[in-house]
Amino acid sequence: MALTLEHVSKRFGSLVAIKDLSLTFERGAIYSIIGPNGAGKSTVVNMVAGSYTVTSGVIRLDAHVVSSLAKHQIARLGISRTYQNLRLFDGMSVLENLEVCFFTDSLPGLFRRGGHRMTKVERLKRCHACLHDFNLADVAENLAGDLPYGRQKVLELARAFVTDAPVVLLDEPAAGLNHTETKEMARRIASLKRSDRAIILVEHDMDLVMSISDRVDVLNHGELLYSGSPDAVRRNEKVQEAYLGTAAELDIVRKLTEGRRTSGGIRAHAGVVRH
Amino acid sequence: MGKSVFLRRTGLIVTLLVCVALLVKVPALPPYYVRVADSILIYIILAVGLNIVVGYAGLLDLGFIAFYAVGAYTYAFLASGQFDIHLPFLIILLIGAGTGALAGILLGFPVLKLRGDYLAIVTLSFGEIIRILINNADDLTNGPQGIAALDRARIFGLPLISPTNFYFLLLILTIVVCGAVYFMERSILGKAWRALREDQDATRGLGINTTGLKLAAFAISAAIGGATGVIFSAFQRFVSPESFTFQESLLVVLIIIIGGVGNIVGIAAGAILLIILPEVLHFAAQYRLLIYGLVLVVVIVLRPNGLIPPAFNLGHVIRKIQALWLSPSNT
Amino acid sequence: MLDYLLQQVIFALAIGAIYGLIALGYTMVYGVMRLINFAHGEFFMLGPYLFTFTMAALLALGGLPPLVDTIVAIVVSFVAIGVLGIAVERFAYRPLRAYGRLAPMLSALGMSIVLQNAIRVTVGPQPVHFPAIVPNSPIEMLGGMVTTTQLGILAAAVVLMAGLTAFVNGTRIGIWIRAASESWTTSSLLGIRVNRAVSLIFFIGPGLGAMAGIMYASYYGIMQPTMGSAVGLKAFTAAILGGIGSIPGAMLGGFLLGAIEVFGTAFLPIVSGGAVGTEYRDVFAFAVLILVLLFKPAGLLGETVTEETVVAKKDY
Repeated sequence: MALTLEHVSKRFGSLVAIKDLSLTFERGAIYSIIGPNGAGKSTVVNMVAGSYTVTSGVIRLDAHVVSSLAKHQIARLGISRTYQNLRLFDGMSVLENLEVCFFTDSLPGLFRRGGHRMTKVERLKRCHACLHDFNLADVAENLAGDLPYGRQKVLELARAFVTDAPVVLLDEPAAGLNHTETKEMARRIASLKRSDRAIILVEHDMDLVMSISDRVDVLNHGELLYSGSPDAVRRNEKVQEAYLGTAAELDIVRKLTEGRRTSGGIRAHAGVVRH
Repeated sequence: MGKSVFLRRTGLIVTLLVCVALLVKVPALPPYYVRVADSILIYIILAVGLNIVVGYAGLLDLGFIAFYAVGAYTYAFLASGQFDIHLPFLIILLIGAGTGALAGILLGFPVLKLRGDYLAIVTLSFGEIIRILINNADDLTNGPQGIAALDRARIFGLPLISPTNFYFLLLILTIVVCGAVYFMERSILGKAWRALREDQDATRGLGINTTGLKLAAFAISAAIGGATGVIFSAFQRFVSPESFTFQESLLVVLIIIIGGVGNIVGIAAGAILLIILPEVLHFAAQYRLLIYGLVLVVVIVLRPNGLIPPAFNLGHVIRKIQALWLSPSNT
Repeated sequence: MLDYLLQQVIFALAIGAIYGLIALGYTMVYGVMRLINFAHGEFFMLGPYLFTFTMAALLALGGLPPLVDTIVAIVVSFVAIGVLGIAVERFAYRPLRAYGRLAPMLSALGMSIVLQNAIRVTVGPQPVHFPAIVPNSPIEMLGGMVTTTQLGILAAAVVLMAGLTAFVNGTRIGIWIRAASESWTTSSLLGIRVNRAVSLIFFIGPGLGAMAGIMYASYYGIMQPTMGSAVGLKAFTAAILGGIGSIPGAMLGGFLLGAIEVFGTAFLPIVSGGAVGTEYRDVFAFAVLILVLLFKPAGLLGETVTEETVVAKKDY
């Protein structure tokens, strides 16, 4: 039982963003997709969520072929996501941001395929419980747009988890957060790991990725470069090269960053290279 | 303390009574004023209906009057000598709402994937197409001459004759429609519409079929438009294409914007202003429309969010009344 | 048949050129401000009125040859309507920039009512005769009859469109305009004076509209206060057809709409065996518009908006 990408490719005009990518994501684990800018990480998320159509190949969730469905049908199957740039409903309250996730479940049978009709009481109970879990109960009635950025990020996370989706895609959950907030976010995501759920992260912050992932998939130029445990990825030469260039170039970077390193591992290097 | 509670409750009751009395006393005015009041109520209902699409779902519909026309001609066809069909008024009211909704869905299906102004222009085109068709399908609609001598509407055997009769009918319908729309706004459907207005793609990402959601908004608002059209044509006992021009569609949109988008209280204020203003300006003779246009521009430049602040909506008013009544201890 | 066809082609080109000139005003304003400028049709209507006043004034002063009079009157109309356009933007639209898109649209509607009724109360609501600028004589071309007015309109419109294209693509301030319509915020961050670009657009657009109005009035020989809203609506349709925000799109849309109208009028009755008459011309035009948008949701030359390129979250 899993989300699988089978020989998936995506072209934008002449640009090949993803080349023959095959991956399997089992439930019960946290996966990270990393890679240099332009490697195709977000493209993967957008294809799985249905924002992009695949050029070739198939994406499956268990027995369902996801890649031929419309975006909202994919979400109904149980693939939820967050966005690189926050996409909350700013003019609605925090509670309402969660409530709309249950819109389809709340419809009369005629408009809803299967399942029972969710009552308002059930809906509010689920949402309030979720707000409590994500420490948002105190701001339930505030407008989402009025929250500080860090809490907006948490709210978007809550919105992705409130429906108990078996697959959750997190597109840069730590982007824009400070060090403390990032730590908090890592702890929170780790605590959301469950046996009936696969969490897939796209993230630049290597500390976060390395601390919580069960498997890290490294993309480069739209292809899978390496896939393995955080430790294995950290040690892999091909990965270091993709991020930092050849060994010779790496030496230069080392010299440049000498003395400026605050935390070990790839993060510091990657930081230098990116900025 | 007890005394002030008593005073406040009395004040509330008196205010409500005065409002009710004012509404009930309108028919005591000369018929001209009653007709203006009828007109205001018609536009309030239309604007509340269109507001579902424009204010809640955030889709600009510039051809709304087409649904009103569909309703009006439904009555003209089914209650006149045109085809010698004479159905009862209330039945036609339901049929009119149904045909309106049907027209809304027929228009909606192909065009709802369009965004923003492209949707606006397509709805505008649809409105114009309906009007031109009515204007030219002589066999069916008598073209520009329109259909006259429509049946007098009866409700349970009681004939609706005077503007006063229609005033009460419209008043009831206004209250029913406003109430229904208010509850819809607060329901999960209303919340989904607001989400749609804020961010269509994120809404789809939550598993919501946004096309269905838009279609629902179109159908419900078109049904309200259709039903109002039936009453309009029963009231006039005459329909012709010139009642359904693009300018009429714009007027309904104007009422929504000038009152405050998405706000039922604002819509009432907008309708009162925009319907009474031309009547008041009668003294200005040919300068009437010039002044009307200037007032529009000045009002919107001074109050870009509409006359009524977004916070002062029907929910707010109801909460205020509840607060005054139920928990008199808080100040 | 061929001569008849040629006649219709010239007719379609002339009327299409007029639509295109007006559509340019809609599309440029929309491109930068995302505003449907409902008052734009009124600038088109004001053009011939102002032209007539200026001509009358010049004649009263006397002393100049008629050709000079005409040229002066045309320039005066362009500049005066352009300045009026700037003023309208300054007072009726600019204060509303921070208030979404419905408020400025309402203001535009109000301005449309004001401008139209200003003429109605000063000149009167009835149609007024508009004298031909060039002597309107028929010319035989390839066996078909066309008029000098038609050819004049076509020539003038092509010159104006070519001029605008050269201006927008070739000059620094033209590049400002294009930059502003790509992204308002980025442009202002780059030090482009967006307000100046906007003012310029509100000068050029109404000016071109006024020129179109003069052409239209000299073609039909009359002018009236309501002509702006009727023709303006169609020109807006043309702008949408071509892809609103796109300058070549507006021109293409104008010519296309002209062709649809003229050939619709000419051939609808023939094709349908008389069942559908010329009165359905506008239905035909609107139906084509809807069909085009169903297959090309952003118009013929418009930029397609895909989910991930949506920058603004809210449509309204």
